Amino acid sequence: MESNSKNIETKYMDRRAFLKVSTAAMGAAVASGLGPFQTFQTVNVAQGAGSSDKVTPFRFAYISDSHLYEKKINDRFVRALLRAVADVNSLEPQPDFVFYGGDLAQLGQPKELELGAEILKEVKAPVKMMVGEHDWYLDMGEKWRELFGEPVYSWDHKGVHLVTLNSVVERDFWTARGMTAMERMMTVAGLDNGVQSPFSVGERQRAWLEKDLAGYSDDTPLIVFSHSPLYKLYKKWNFWTDDAEEVQAILKRFKRVVVIHGHTHQLLTNRIGNIHFHGMLSTAWPWPYAPEGMPELTIEMSRPDPFNANDGCGDGEVHVQADGLVDKVYNLWNRTPLTVGRAYTASWGKESVPPKPNRASY
Amino acid sequence: MNIIRIISIYRFVRVPIVALVAVVLLPLFNTKAVVAEDIPKTDHGAATMEYQNKELDRLLPSVDVSKAPSSFDDVVWKAFIPEDNSMTAERVALGRKLYFDKRLSADGTVSCATCHDVTRGFTDQLAVSEGIKDQLGRRNAPTTLNVTLLQIVFLDGRSPTLEHQAKQPIINPIEMGMPDGQAAVDAIKGDAEYQAAFKKAYGRKVNYDDIGRAIAAFERTLVFVDSPFRRFLDGDEDAISAEAEEGWELYNEKGRCMTCHPMNPSNPLGTDNRFHNVGVSARHQDFEGLAKQALKAMEEDPSERKLDELALSTDMSELGRFMVTKNRSDIGAFRTPLLLNIGITPPYMHDGTVETLWDVMDHYNKGGEANLFLDGGMEPLALTEEEINSIVAFLFSLTDFRFAEENQRQFERQRAQAKKKRPLRDDDMAFRLKLAFEK
Amino acid sequence: MVKEIAMRNESTVAQLMNVLLCAACISVIMMVTGCSEEVEYTTCDGRGKVTVAEETEGQDLADAIMAQWKLENPNRNWVEEEKERHELKPPADNSALLEGQQGEGHTYGNYTEKDLLMWERETEKLVVEGSRIFHSAQLLKSQVSVSCDMCHPHAANTHPETYPKFQTQLGRVALLRDMIHWCIDNPVRGEHLLPDDPRMRALEAYIMAQRSGTMMNYGKH
Repeated sequence: MESNSKNIETKYMDRRAFLKVSTAAMGAAVASGLGPFQTFQTVNVAQGAGSSDKVTPFRFAYISDSHLYEKKINDRFVRALLRAVADVNSLEPQPDFVFYGGDLAQLGQPKELELGAEILKEVKAPVKMMVGEHDWYLDMGEKWRELFGEPVYSWDHKGVHLVTLNSVVERDFWTARGMTAMERMMTVAGLDNGVQSPFSVGERQRAWLEKDLAGYSDDTPLIVFSHSPLYKLYKKWNFWTDDAEEVQAILKRFKRVVVIHGHTHQLLTNRIGNIHFHGMLSTAWPWPYAPEGMPELTIEMSRPDPFNANDGCGDGEVHVQADGLVDKVYNLWNRTPLTVGRAYTASWGKESVPPKPNRASY
Repeated sequence: MNIIRIISIYRFVRVPIVALVAVVLLPLFNTKAVVAEDIPKTDHGAATMEYQNKELDRLLPSVDVSKAPSSFDDVVWKAFIPEDNSMTAERVALGRKLYFDKRLSADGTVSCATCHDVTRGFTDQLAVSEGIKDQLGRRNAPTTLNVTLLQIVFLDGRSPTLEHQAKQPIINPIEMGMPDGQAAVDAIKGDAEYQAAFKKAYGRKVNYDDIGRAIAAFERTLVFVDSPFRRFLDGDEDAISAEAEEGWELYNEKGRCMTCHPMNPSNPLGTDNRFHNVGVSARHQDFEGLAKQALKAMEEDPSERKLDELALSTDMSELGRFMVTKNRSDIGAFRTPLLLNIGITPPYMHDGTVETLWDVMDHYNKGGEANLFLDGGMEPLALTEEEINSIVAFLFSLTDFRFAEENQRQFERQRAQAKKKRPLRDDDMAFRLKLAFEK
Repeated sequence: MVKEIAMRNESTVAQLMNVLLCAACISVIMMVTGCSEEVEYTTCDGRGKVTVAEETEGQDLADAIMAQWKLENPNRNWVEEEKERHELKPPADNSALLEGQQGEGHTYGNYTEKDLLMWERETEKLVVEGSRIFHSAQLLKSQVSVSCDMCHPHAANTHPETYPKFQTQLGRVALLRDMIHWCIDNPVRGEHLLPDDPRMRALEAYIMAQRSGTMMNYGKH
C-alpha cells in the first residue's frame, strides 16, 4: 500500500482515522453480501452544532474531469491538467481550497490515478477530491480509497455546510453479461454507451445524506458536490441522476442549496426550486450540448474550435457570497472568463444575464 | 479570377529528395546582381530615398491601380478598399512621395521607408526598429508588402485600416516623433508640389487624414505575390523543389501551419488576421505582473495615443493584443504575420528575437513556450530535422521572383547560422518526452 | 504460454484480448519455417494457423492470433451488439416502393420485400461498422487513445449537412470527408486515412446517418 504521506491531505478531515473506520465497515458490508459497497464518513455529532447564522464570503477554485491516461499514451490530457494546476497556483489571493470534480483517470487504471495524485500534489491550496465514473468502475473504488480516502464526506467552512457525494452509482449491468472489470470500465467510459445503467446516488447514500444534514437548520447554506448533475438532463449521455427527485426532496427544506457538478464538461446552469445547479468545466475536452432537455437558464458557451485543444476547456472558481449563493466563474482557456453570477440564478435568469454564444453546437 | 489549382492534401508525391536545396532563380527583370554592400545608405541604416525610389521603379510594373491585381480575387480585393479612398494614380503617387519623405519626422531623419525599406524586404531586417534620435522601439517592423488584404494592422491590432495605421508612427515619440498631426502637416504644407498633389488627389488642402489615406493607397499597390510557389499552384510542376513540395504537404498536415496561416485564392497572405499567444514573450516576461501594471496605467490615461506609446516603449509591449482589448484571453497575443516573402523579412516574431526560419520551426516544434495564456492550438509537433528542412524550403519558395537574389542571400545566411546554432531547439519537448508546465 | 505472452503487455486492450483468448483455449506449437525468421502458431484445435515474424510479441501477436480466431469464429451478432451499445438512427423506410402499381416493364421498378430487406441490412451494416470505428480508439489507431465519441457522442455536433464549407482548420473549402481526415490527424492522432479507405467510408456513413432528417445547408457556420 502506498505510503500515506504521498496522498492528498485535506484540511478538514483526518483521512487516516476514517480509513480505519471504513475498513471495518467494508468488512461488514462484504460479509452481509451487499455490494457494490460504499462506506461513508460516520456522522460526527459535533458537526450538527455548526448551523450558521452568518456566512463569511469565500472563494474556492475547481479543476475537474481530466481523464488522464499515462503520459506516454496521451500527453495532451496530462499537459492540460498541469496547466490547470499552474492556473490555480497563480491565483492571487489563493483560494481557500481547490475542489477536484471527478474523472481524474480515464480508464480507472492505478497508474492513471497515481499520475493524477502526483500532479495534484503541486497545488498550493488544500485539495478536496470527488470521484467520477471513470475513476470508479475498474476496481469499484479500491485504488481511489487508497489514494484519496472516502469518496463521500462533508465538512463546514465559514458558515456553509459542504457535502461531497458519489453520484455515479450504477445498477449492476455487468454480472449478467459476464463482463470483466475492463469491459465494465470501457462500457462506463463511453458517454453514449447504452449498455450502462443511469447514474444514481442510491438509497444508502441518501440515508447517509439525511442523517448528515439532520443537525443543520433550514437557514444553513448548503453546497453539494456531485459528479452527475443531480437532475435529469439527458439520459442517453448519463447527464442524469436517476433518483434526482429523492435527493432534491432531502435538500428541499434548506433555503439555499448550490449543487456544483462535473461530468458535463460544459457551461451549465439550472435552478429547481431552492437548488442552484452549476456545472464545472473539464480540462480534457468539451462535450456538445444535449439535443433535448436543456435547462432554460443555461446560456450555452460558444461551440469550441477543434484546432485548439484547450478551447471549451478550463478550470474555474466559485465565489460564495454572504447568503450562501455563488458566483460561478468559468475560466475558459483562450477565452474571456465567464461568470454566472449569483443574481442570475437568484432572479431566475432576469438579471446579470451572461453573454449569448455566436457559435452554437448543432 | 485566376484558376488556382489547390494541391490535394491526399497527394503523396514521393520524389527522391534533392540534396541541393535551391530556390528557383529565374532572372525575369534585372540581371544585374546587386550585392547588399553596394547600396548607398542613409540615416538609421536605411538605403537612401533616391536609391529606394529607383529600385521601386524597377520592381513595380506600371499598372492601372484602380483594378485588382491579377493575382487577387477581385471581389475580395475591392472589399478592402474604403469608399473614401478609392484607388487613383494621383493618390498612389502622392502616397509614394510621402512614404519616402523624411520631413515627416521631427529630426528629418526618418521616413516610412527607413523601417519599411525597399531594399530590405520592405522592412528593416532588424530585431526592433530604430527611430529618431536613434531610439529603439520594442517591436519588429512588419513588411509593407501585400498589406492590402490585412483585416487589422499593427502586431497588436491597434489599427483597423492602413489609413489609420499610417498616421501613428509619425506622431510616435520613438519612431518619427512629431508632436501631433498638425506638425506633420506644417512640415510639408508649404511645399507647392505637395499642395498641387493633394489638390489633385483629394481635392483638399494638405491635411493629416489625407496623408494617411495617400500612404495607404500607395501601400495597396505593393503587390508581390509572384513566387515559385504561386507558379507551382498555377500548374508548373517544376516551379518548386521536391523538398518544398514536401514542405507544403507538411504545412497542411503534420506541421499544422495552415490553420493560423491559411493560404487560399481569396486570402493568399498566410495570416488568419487573428491574435495568438505562441509564447515568444514568455521567454522573458512575467505576464500576470505586467497585465496588472497595464490595467492601472490605462485607467490613468485611456487615450489611443498613450496606448501607442506604451506599446512601443515599455515592457507592456509584450502584452500585445491585451493592450487593446483588455481581455484576459488576449494576454501576450500578437497578430499572425503574413507569410508571403517571409524569406526576406528576418528576424522573426513580434520582437525579432527569432533569427532564422529554422529557429521559427524549432519554436513551433516544441509547442511554443509554456505560459498561462498560451494558445491551445500550440502543440508539440514531433517534426524531424528532415521535415523542418522541408517546411523551411517551402517558406523560402513564397518569395516573389523580383526578390530572388535577396531571398537566396537570406537563405544561405540563415542556413549557415542555423548550422552553427539552434538556440530554441528542444527535442524533448518536440517529441513529447517532456511536457509544458511540467516541473 | 500464450496467456503469459498476452499479459506481458500491460495495455488494457491486451487484457481484453486475454479474456477472449482464454475462451478459445489456444495452445502454441512453434515451428521455425525454413531460413526466414518466422514463427508459425497453430491453435490447439488445429484449425487456425498464423505465421508471424519471430520478433512479434505482445499486442501484435495477440492481435494476429485473435484475427485468425475471429476468422474461424465470426461474431454473428456484431451488428446487434453495436446497436445495443450505441443507438443508431435507422435507414429510411422504403415500404412505399412495394405499394401500388409496380413499375414499367418486368424489371425496372419491380421491388420485393426481400430486396428492401437486403438493402436495409447492407446499408445498416456500413453505418454500424462506422459506429464501431467511431467509438474505438484502437480501430482508429489513435496514438493518444482518443476516439471520435469523446467530442461527438452519438456523432453530435458533427453537422455533416453543412458541408461543403470553408473550414478554418484547413484554410480552404472542405467536404465532410476532409474534416474527418483532419480530425483523425489532429485531435485523434490516428492512422492517416485516404478518402476511399473503407474505414473512412464507414465513418462518413455513420456520421451522415446520425443526422438523417436534417435539411442540407451547405456553407453554414
